[in-house]
Amino acid sequence: MKNWFKSGSPWVWLSAGGVSISLISVLGLLLLIASRGLSYFWPAQIVQFNLLDEHGVNSVVIGEIYDRERIPAEQLAHTKINLSAEQETVERLLIKTGNRELVSLDFRWLLVPQITEQSTPSNLVVIERRSNGNFYGVIESLVLAGENVELSKLPALLERVEHFQDQIEALQKTDIGAINYQLERLRLKERKHNLDGTLTDALSKNFLEDVNRLKAQYGQLEEKLMALRQEIARDQLTVRAMDGQIVTLNFEDILAVTFNNKLTIFDKVLLFFSQIGGFIMDDPREANTEGGVFPAIFGTVLMVLLMTVIVSPFGVVAAIYLHEYAGNNALTKLLRIAVINLAGVPSIVYGVFGLGFFVYMVGGSLDQLFYSETLPSPTFGTPGVMWSAITLAILTLPVVIVSTEEGLSRIPSAMRHGSLALGATKAETLWRIILPIASPAIMTGIILAIARAAGEVAPLMLVGVVKMAPNLPLDGNFPFLHLDRKFMHLGFHIYDVGFQSPNVEAARPLVYATALLLITIIVALNMTAVSIRNKLREKYKMLEH
Amino acid sequence: MITVTPNALSNSPNKMDLTNMTPEQIALDIKGLNLHYGNKQALQDITMSIPKGQVTAFIGPSGCGKSTLLRCINRMNDLVDICKITGEINLHGENIYGRHVDVAALRRKVGMVFQRPNPFPKSIYENVVYGVRIGGENNRRKLDDIVEKSLKSAALWNEVKDRLHESALGLSGGQQQRLVIARAIAIEPEVLLLDEPTSALDPISTLTIEELINDLKKQFTVVIVTHNMQQAARVSDQTAFMYMGDLIEYSDTNTLFTTPTKKKTEDYITGRYG
Repeated sequence: MKNWFKSGSPWVWLSAGGVSISLISVLGLLLLIASRGLSYFWPAQIVQFNLLDEHGVNSVVIGEIYDRERIPAEQLAHTKINLSAEQETVERLLIKTGNRELVSLDFRWLLVPQITEQSTPSNLVVIERRSNGNFYGVIESLVLAGENVELSKLPALLERVEHFQDQIEALQKTDIGAINYQLERLRLKERKHNLDGTLTDALSKNFLEDVNRLKAQYGQLEEKLMALRQEIARDQLTVRAMDGQIVTLNFEDILAVTFNNKLTIFDKVLLFFSQIGGFIMDDPREANTEGGVFPAIFGTVLMVLLMTVIVSPFGVVAAIYLHEYAGNNALTKLLRIAVINLAGVPSIVYGVFGLGFFVYMVGGSLDQLFYSETLPSPTFGTPGVMWSAITLAILTLPVVIVSTEEGLSRIPSAMRHGSLALGATKAETLWRIILPIASPAIMTGIILAIARAAGEVAPLMLVGVVKMAPNLPLDGNFPFLHLDRKFMHLGFHIYDVGFQSPNVEAARPLVYATALLLITIIVALNMTAVSIRNKLREKYKMLEH
Repeated sequence: MITVTPNALSNSPNKMDLTNMTPEQIALDIKGLNLHYGNKQALQDITMSIPKGQVTAFIGPSGCGKSTLLRCINRMNDLVDICKITGEINLHGENIYGRHVDVAALRRKVGMVFQRPNPFPKSIYENVVYGVRIGGENNRRKLDDIVEKSLKSAALWNEVKDRLHESALGLSGGQQQRLVIARAIAIEPEVLLLDEPTSALDPISTLTIEELINDLKKQFTVVIVTHNMQQAARVSDQTAFMYMGDLIEYSDTNTLFTTPTKKKTEDYITGRYG
């Protein structure tokens, strides 16, 4: 035993154990998030339950099995449910029944002993809708321009509607959006002239002409839009819900119709991937509890990239000054300690600082100076993507400074001396020799900064993130990148969907799916940076002195 | 006892009177040079004249100040914060420690090669033209010419002419040291300082470099610091023996190794210490 301790193996085992625990935790976490998140996209069976409840009433419930759990029998003692005495627990199922407009809750618990029959009829259908969530039921008839037609025409009709919907969306977002934007700019221009006192009659006549021209265009587009809407409104689908109610659904409201119970495994895989695609590419619906998360992905990536662009030069310049130019005295040491301590400040403090300093002070002054025509509604004096990027840049600055400085101090002095001996000045040496060699270390700093910034949510809630942003910060209207706009963020989306949502059960799988997506994006950003670093390392690899 | 190859000595050109040279013959004139590292004096009142177009060697035991003296000549000691220098070193009759001296320009006139090869992590080509580019020359054809000429002078051209654009770090130690020499002579300095250029190399590379030094003195004044007395005897025309920061003896190599005038010199070259 003593020898065993002497040999050092207990410490080897201890370290190996520590490593294993970390690995298992990471893998377990990823596995949990991945399985919960991905199962959301897998087309589930639609089950029809025949129930006999404690009052002797028969009923039918149609829906997807969402969850199952066992509860102690005592919990049900006060009800009149017949349970055999030896049964200690009762199994119950959570069913997603949809049809939100017909029933108060679209989720329902069923006690397994009350189920008399369970089947999966192939005519059951799940209809994904624009509002009110999914509809589960049976298709009764298909009405084409007021006449009943065969059900086999359904796919063609759905495609037709989708085609029109795409056109409507393009019209609304691109064309009408552009006209609105131009109208707003004209209004601001006129107001600016008005404020400056340079508004002449000729000018205001010009403005009026422009506005009228745009309004005429707007009217044309609106007519086109109405025509398209009418086309879509032509057809209806009549469906029967689980309680026998007949419901007429307008095609305008329908996104997809799937006979889940008829699907082969191949169809299911296809549907699975198209659902994932939709989740990544679509806009959210229904207070973020349905639809996709594209704006949040876009916002997250854009904000992180902006942050990187801001933090890299500042961090590198600061590190160069501290390492190369600042004298090796007490003040420098104090500065270095301050920088390192900056990394330990809680992130919400940065959020408060960003709101107080950047948004209100800097942004407010910018508005006074350059955007006075829009006041009192602020342009930069309100949270936005630029302030978020800058706040996170300050948050991650210490990381970049510390790794860059470390990289600089690792460079052998022979490199500096070699360059200086050839008549290069210190600045030339820095620029041509030191910085290229230190570039992998700088990249390491940037990688750490990205990892930290992409996962940060708390400060963003104060300086720019919103639950629902009407426009992306990047669009087709000049100047294309709108740094003053608010944006959506995956991290905040998780919080919002998971904890602020009116429909907790519906949102739960979305939380996992969004978390999985966030992790994937952070990993992707990091992998890009790591591969750049590895290329640089290969290029500037040092001799092993 | 050191055996000095008589052959090498006979190669030495006409003996020079080192105390009585015309200004045209002098490359560097060191006068009353003192150097302190903090409180410690590393060089004491060094006065010597280094002749043009010849190889001058500094020898002496470790810590005697020979490398420090060498680094004074192109002001590399400026990089050491605690270093304080008095006295003067004259290049073309101008004190390089004068008030208005452009250190970068001085270093372009006085090139230096270090103990360990220190090629930059760039291609062979870019290593050679580094100093030239710093000087502002970016004409591709001129650079090509300079690369070829410098690498030929450094006896490296034949080995690397087919891979000029590959990384310099792929070369062997001896090749790297010759590359560093090529890099130093590409900017056509007047004086070339070699700080123990072969101490990190194998015997064959050492031989190549020594032959190279013999060729280099046709174009440059060479000052070499070496640990190895045979090497000093083989390559140099003048030798200075230093001990504990003092210049003990300075004369032509033949005289110093065969009939040293000072006891300390004799003790050192006969291997009694050092």
